[in-house]
Amino acid sequence: MGIRFNQVSHGYTSFADGLYTAIKDISFEISDKNEFIALVGHTGSGKSTLAKHMNALIFPTSGTLEIFGKTITSKRDKKIKYNDIRKKVGLVFQFPEYQLFEETVEKDIMFGPMNFKISKEEAKALAKESLNLVGLDDSYLTRNPYNLSGGEKKRVSIAGILAMNPDILVLDEPTSGLDPAGRRVLMDLFKDIHDKTKKSVIIITHDMDLVYQYFNRVLVMNEGHLIFDGDPEKLFREKDLFKNHLDYPNTIKVLDYLNKSLGINLDIYKRTIEEALLEIKGAEKL
Amino acid sequence: MSYIEIQKLSYSYNEKTNVLDDINIDIEKGEWIAVLGHNGSGKSTLAKTLVGLLEPKTGDITIDGITLGEETAYEIRKKIGIVFQNPDNQFVGVTVKDDIAFGMENLCVPREEMLEKINFYAKKVNMLDFLDKEPATLSGGQKQRVAIAGILAMQSDIIIFDEATSMLDPYSKEELIQYIKTLHKDGLTIIMITHDINEALLADRILVMNKGKVFAFQETEKIMKDKETFTSSNLELPVALELANSLAQDDKFKEIRDKLWEYALTK
Repeated sequence: MGIRFNQVSHGYTSFADGLYTAIKDISFEISDKNEFIALVGHTGSGKSTLAKHMNALIFPTSGTLEIFGKTITSKRDKKIKYNDIRKKVGLVFQFPEYQLFEETVEKDIMFGPMNFKISKEEAKALAKESLNLVGLDDSYLTRNPYNLSGGEKKRVSIAGILAMNPDILVLDEPTSGLDPAGRRVLMDLFKDIHDKTKKSVIIITHDMDLVYQYFNRVLVMNEGHLIFDGDPEKLFREKDLFKNHLDYPNTIKVLDYLNKSLGINLDIYKRTIEEALLEIKGAEKL
Repeated sequence: MSYIEIQKLSYSYNEKTNVLDDINIDIEKGEWIAVLGHNGSGKSTLAKTLVGLLEPKTGDITIDGITLGEETAYEIRKKIGIVFQNPDNQFVGVTVKDDIAFGMENLCVPREEMLEKINFYAKKVNMLDFLDKEPATLSGGQKQRVAIAGILAMQSDIIIFDEATSMLDPYSKEELIQYIKTLHKDGLTIIMITHDINEALLADRILVMNKGKVFAFQETEKIMKDKETFTSSNLELPVALELANSLAQDDKFKEIRDKLWEYALTK
C-alpha cells in the first residue's frame, strides 16, 4: 500500500472569510505501484490541497493519512522522518519556474538527490540519466534554467524529481500552458516512465481528452469532496459534469451533437478521433 | 489606414536568432483576431512588443495613426491593455477596488470620477459584489475579469488576451469566453493568443505564427479548410474538423460534414 487517506479534512484560515475547509472527509487509497491516476476538479475544488497531503507537505486538520506505513496526523511526529516520505513521493508543482533556482540545469537536478546523502558523482550520473529520461540531451546540463522555455523548464523540474527516484510521482497540471503537441509529448513521457518503472503516477489536469485517452482511474473533486473514483468512461456516462463545473472529452461532445442534430444513434463513447471516425463510417442509418 | 499596422517588425533576445522575424500585419478596428502557434513561435513576444513592453529591433507599430516610440509609448499604452496567463501575476491591488483603480491612478483621474468608474466597470464585468475582497478569495476567472475592468476603466479599446484562459477550469474559461464575446460586440478590438483551437474558432481572423514568422493570416472559416497550415505548424485541428476532413471524400457523409462544421464554428 502506498498512500491511504482516512477521513482527511483540511482547513485554511483566511482574513476575509475565517476558516475555509478546502478538502472534506476524504478517504481513498493509492497503491505503491502500477497506478496511473488523473485528478480533476474545478478551480478551488481542493485538488492541489489533496496533492500536497500526499507527500506530507501539509498535514490534515482532521483524519489521518498513511504514507508507506507512516501515519500522518494533524501534529508533527518527531519519530517520523518526513524527508523519507518526500523521497518516496515526489511532487511537481504547477509552476516549475518557482522550483528552479540553481545556476545550471545539472546543479538543479542534483539538488534533490544530494539531500539524500549520496556522492556528488552519483548525483551527477542521476542528473544526466533523469534529464535524458525527460527527453532533453546532455547539452542542457550546463545551461542556465532561467534561459529555458516554459516547456523545457517543466521537463527540468520533472527530471529533478525523477532523480530522487520516488515510488510515487504527483504532478500538478504538468501540461498547462503547453501547445497540443507539447502536451502529448509530455503525457507520452509520463506514460512511458510509468510503463517502464511501474511507478504510480498521479496527474492533476483539466483536460478531459487526456483523461479519456491516457488514464484508467480518475478522481473527481468538487467543493472539497471526492465525488468520483473510478473508470473515466463510467464518469462520463454517469455524472453530469457540467453541474460539477467540468467538461466532457471533445469526441463525446461532437458525437453527441451529431446524434441530437441529425436524430441518429451513434455510440458517443469513443476515445480517439480514429475510433469516432470508424463509428461514423460504420453507422447504418445516416 | 488600418487601426493597428505592424510593419517589418523583428525582435530578438540575443544576437543569433530572431524571435519575431519580419512581421507585417494589419488589424481593423473592432476585429477579433486569434493568434495560434507552437510554444516558442513568438506569439507572446508579439503581444509584448505591441503594448510597448519590449522594444522591437526593427520595424514599426502604428496604432490609430500613432507610431509607437519612446515619446508615444505612454499614449499608446492607454489604448491597449493586456491580460496575462497567470491571474496572480497581474493583480496589483490589495482589494478588487484598488486593482481596478491602479491604471486610472497612473493617469491621474480625479477621485470622484474614479469611484464612479470603478463601480461602472466592476458592474460591467459582474464583480460589483466583490469590490472590497482580497485577491486570495477570488477564483482565477474572477481575477481575470477584474483585470479586464481595469483595462476598460482606462478607456482602452484594444485588449490582448495572452493565453488568459489557459489556467482556468472549463467553467471559468467558458464564462470568460462569453464575456470576451460581449466585449467584441461592444466594438473592442480583441487579440487573443491561445493554444485552444476551439477558442480560436470564435475569432474573425486567425493568425498562425511559426518560428517567429507569420505563417498564415486569414478568415477563420477559410483557414480551417486548409489542413496543411495546421499540420506544418505543429498545430492540431479541432476534433469536429478532423472528422469532417476525414469524411471529405464521400458524398454519403455530406450532412454529417455540414453538422461537424456547424459544431466547430458555433460551439
